Amino acid sequence: MSSGILPIEVQLISLAVLLAFSAWVVSLIRRQRLHLRESLIWLVTTLAAIAVTAWPDLLVRASRLVGIQVPANALFGAGLLYLAVNVLAVTIGLSQNTTSVRRLAQESALLRAELSELRGRLSDAPRGDDGERARR
Amino acid sequence: MRVAAIVPAFNEAKSLPALAEAFRACAPAVDVCVVDDGSKDDTARVAASLGLSVLRLPVNLGIGGAVQAGYLWALERGYDVAVQVDGDGQHDPAYLAALVAPIEAGAADVVIGSRFLAEGGFRSTFLRRAGIRYLSWFLRVRCGARVTDTTSGFRAAGRRAIELFARYYPSDYPEPEAIALAKRAGLRLAEVPVRMNERSHGQSSITAFRTLYYLVKVSLALVLLPPRTQRAEGDAS
Repeated sequence: MSSGILPIEVQLISLAVLLAFSAWVVSLIRRQRLHLRESLIWLVTTLAAIAVTAWPDLLVRASRLVGIQVPANALFGAGLLYLAVNVLAVTIGLSQNTTSVRRLAQESALLRAELSELRGRLSDAPRGDDGERARR
Repeated sequence: MRVAAIVPAFNEAKSLPALAEAFRACAPAVDVCVVDDGSKDDTARVAASLGLSVLRLPVNLGIGGAVQAGYLWALERGYDVAVQVDGDGQHDPAYLAALVAPIEAGAADVVIGSRFLAEGGFRSTFLRRAGIRYLSWFLRVRCGARVTDTTSGFRAAGRRAIELFARYYPSDYPEPEAIALAKRAGLRLAEVPVRMNERSHGQSSITAFRTLYYLVKVSLALVLLPPRTQRAEGDAS
């Protein structure tokens, strides 16, 4: 498990933090404060981080593969990528929400216009008091 | 031909009475729909008291979302032509007939009112005129649309254009992008000369130092138009 590049203390602390983070995400999902669909990317990327922390050899081999000489740099790179991917996922969700909000606002405006038109017609009708009642 | 006017209005309570009067005088047969884009003032109440139809958006969507709400309204009610007229007094309803004419004649699907084809009237600052010319060039190169007044929000849309814009309308600074989308969708564009006034109240949504940001953003939007084959769903963001 241990290899030259990560002292065992750092490895243990990182693992503890990552596991606590995963547990937090899972509990948020279970209490329905986070949707599984949006948080899947957090779980998957955090699992990858756990794997790399538990078996740092993975990191060494991966950095050799792409020609990074200091494995620690690969760690920083991977960390930045991890954040970038998750922030992008959040932004995508935000854009989708903006689209939905726009559509819903338009729909509600159309319905409100329709409603006040119908109310107007009701109060114009011979039995005007029904219209009055509907207004309340 | 049933014609609707879409009037996007953000805090335009003061300008609306004059606009309603102009509509009554020049285009009495046109149904006017004021889209209140989450105004803080009395825009919706004033519009309703003037006998105009009102779409009251519960939140501020910006000009793109407001105009699209109007197109959805026009589509739902089966209008043949929808004309966008700004609520701030820049656009004179006297030109409505001229804007609708090419659509009625079956010669165009989208008709843009251009202040540069007409003599006189309000022409904006030098910087903005330069920006508009640049966008005109860009639109011609990007998708072959020949339009002189690319940012004009005074435009008429026929049936096919109403359907397109109800389904897909850009946000933020939508005017040049909407031209590109219409051209892409195979709609026919035309331009007619109109004279514009300086806005009667309020401020342009594009202040001088924002012009550059505007041009960069719109250029990017034009470069990143959705692929031709993709059927647009929902709307742009």
